[in-house]
Amino acid sequence: MKIAGRLKKEKPPHLHSGFTKNELMLKTFLFMCIIGFASIIVMGADAFVHILVALGTALVVHATINSYQTWKGVEPTYSSPASVLVAGMIVALAMPIASPFEITAGVSLLTVLVFKYGQGRFFKRKYLNPAAAAKVLLLGLLSVMYIIEEPLKEGMIFHPHHYDYNFMSAEGFEASMWIFSRESIFGAELSATQSLLFWQTHGWIGGGSSIVVLIVGIVAAYLLKYKWRIIVSTILTMTVLSAAIGLYLGCDPILRIAFHVFTGSVIFFTFFMATEPQTTPMTHGGQYAFGVCLAILTFVLQLYNVLGGSIIALVLLNIFTDKFDLLLIKKPFGHGKEVRT
Amino acid sequence: MKGERTFREKGGFEMDISMKAGAEKKPFKFIDIPDIVTICLQQHIGKPNHPIVKEGDMVKTGQKIGDAKCRMVVPIHSSVTGYVEDLKEVYNPVLNRKEKAVIIRRDGNDEMKYLPEYDLDRRKEIVKMVKEAGIVGLGGAAFPTHVKLSSQGIKKLVINAKESDPNLVCDVRLMIDKPAEIVKGIKLMARSLDTDEIIFATRTEEGQIPELERIMKEHGIKVVRVRPSYSVGAEKLLIKEMFGIEVPSGKFPPDVGVVVNNVSTAYAVYRAAYKKEPLLSRGASFYSDLTGIENIWFRNGTSIRQVIEGLGLDIDRFDRIVIGSLMMGWSVGSSDAPLLKYSAGVTALTPEYSKPYEKQLPCIRCGYCDLVCPVDIYPSLIMKAEKADDVKALKRYNVLDCIECSLCSYVCPSQIKLTKHLWQGKNKVNK
Repeated sequence: MKIAGRLKKEKPPHLHSGFTKNELMLKTFLFMCIIGFASIIVMGADAFVHILVALGTALVVHATINSYQTWKGVEPTYSSPASVLVAGMIVALAMPIASPFEITAGVSLLTVLVFKYGQGRFFKRKYLNPAAAAKVLLLGLLSVMYIIEEPLKEGMIFHPHHYDYNFMSAEGFEASMWIFSRESIFGAELSATQSLLFWQTHGWIGGGSSIVVLIVGIVAAYLLKYKWRIIVSTILTMTVLSAAIGLYLGCDPILRIAFHVFTGSVIFFTFFMATEPQTTPMTHGGQYAFGVCLAILTFVLQLYNVLGGSIIALVLLNIFTDKFDLLLIKKPFGHGKEVRT
Repeated sequence: MKGERTFREKGGFEMDISMKAGAEKKPFKFIDIPDIVTICLQQHIGKPNHPIVKEGDMVKTGQKIGDAKCRMVVPIHSSVTGYVEDLKEVYNPVLNRKEKAVIIRRDGNDEMKYLPEYDLDRRKEIVKMVKEAGIVGLGGAAFPTHVKLSSQGIKKLVINAKESDPNLVCDVRLMIDKPAEIVKGIKLMARSLDTDEIIFATRTEEGQIPELERIMKEHGIKVVRVRPSYSVGAEKLLIKEMFGIEVPSGKFPPDVGVVVNNVSTAYAVYRAAYKKEPLLSRGASFYSDLTGIENIWFRNGTSIRQVIEGLGLDIDRFDRIVIGSLMMGWSVGSSDAPLLKYSAGVTALTPEYSKPYEKQLPCIRCGYCDLVCPVDIYPSLIMKAEKADDVKALKRYNVLDCIECSLCSYVCPSQIKLTKHLWQGKNKVNK
């Protein structure tokens, strides 16, 4: 009961835009649903199952933890499943289509349990991108299986045949592009470049149609105000590096750009994983530097055929996010600019 | 402004200003002169006043009751006729601390003590009159107007009629009601600054204040329609927006040859010069979720309770009352707190009104606060440094440049009151 004349003393402000974290997450999820839908069209039913498995696992883990927290009388960490849905969808779209479903479920489980809830619980904030860290962890474990005969049959997502390709030579690179040149839409044959841009049935599920990712990503980044400096610097650096190596080695620079920039592990990754807010720098200069470093590291790992190069690069750079925040701090209003009187 | 529902801020963010849409059409409601007024002795930025009356003294309306011999002091006047009942410390709702105040009980008369005659052709006399009338910046800053008007080498006088806060519309109403008076006040200000270049910065659309615009045209006052944005209302940002001049950190607009004054301040100057009245009353905007916006006119020292009851509302219906801007003002702890010269707004909110910051979530480092910040600092990194007591980092991230506009909190999806950390950060650096 309020005592007459006594009121609540509160600091400003007293107004809020009304745009909340849950809304941000929900809208991000909806944008990714468009990409997921495009991927299902391109890659078929397997993509749909991967998405269902990843989302289902994420939701089950979330519901279990939520129930446990409620039972213990603790305030649930996430009042809404929106951010868990985003994590689950990212896992699904960041999985190679050839990956077994149980691996997708495993990555989703690790993402939500260890790197989403766990990081927040023990480190007060997320330092590593949950989906990327989960994938790196699982990749690392599965890589051990490289020694097993016919590892794909054993359920690994590491593809040893990729080691047969030599991306450091024009011949090796062009020979490896066969995988993209066999695509066709309604009977029309696609070149490797066209396939990389419009219709990929190989690689990350999120890269099914790079053009869709590009359009949806730009719209989402604009409307939801993602850290666009990371996107721009990553894509530009990748473009420059791939064009340069294409010219240097004497292969088609356009195909080289198409491959290095428009595979799902780069284009989807750049828009929806590299911009994950908690694990990336805040300062504008830091974001540019982060994007450039991410592109360089990813590019080098791609050249050496390291599968999951982009996510390994991201996890490595996440560790230094706080250092990036010390770079190129913009001058505030009224500092160091000439005054005209 | 007619159909204006949103302001557009840096980074593409929008601010909802629908609460004041169309409210400029509502005329001022005059709050009855209260039987008792509480007049805080410090109602300006600068050194404090000393009381020059004692308990039991009879005072007239307009009589000086507090003053001090200092340039950065603005005298204070009684807003009613009566006797001094008490001199005690009361809660100052704007400074959010206790201040000395004079309590005056009204005797039923309203006998006026007018200001003396001043030669309005002489610059120094205008400045003296403005000081003696106790005029401060009425936009909310309470900077002594005579200090601004005594600046040298001024090329431009800007009248800030932007009224950017989402809950304030009283300036626009005043522009509709008192156009000729405002222009007379502006001309006097320009005379004291010895400048002919007067720019009237407004967010109103053409034809919204036709009479004022016509008179200003006759007097060669240039009307500039400023982009509808909350942050552009801040003095230095307004100068940057209009002239591309960036006032250096730690300096003031007169250092770049510009003086900015609020439109209500111009009206107060008019009243001092032509009505011989010190600053005793002012217009303000009252908002409650029960009534919407009302424009009110009150005497200095009127309590919040008197205003709310004067509007026919039950004070006990509200649990939060904010003085000034909803973005920058504190909600007060008592409904008996007095309104001051520079209280441009009163907002009374019921318990049912949304409390967006009640459940703050952890920072997700989305960077929205950095994007929207009009002075290009990093509120989120400052919050982190402030929590860690890292003064070196607070300096690195330029916490002292924060203008406390609260836009960072407004856009934060985690609904964190970053403004609180920015203040605390400033205090830690200044220690």
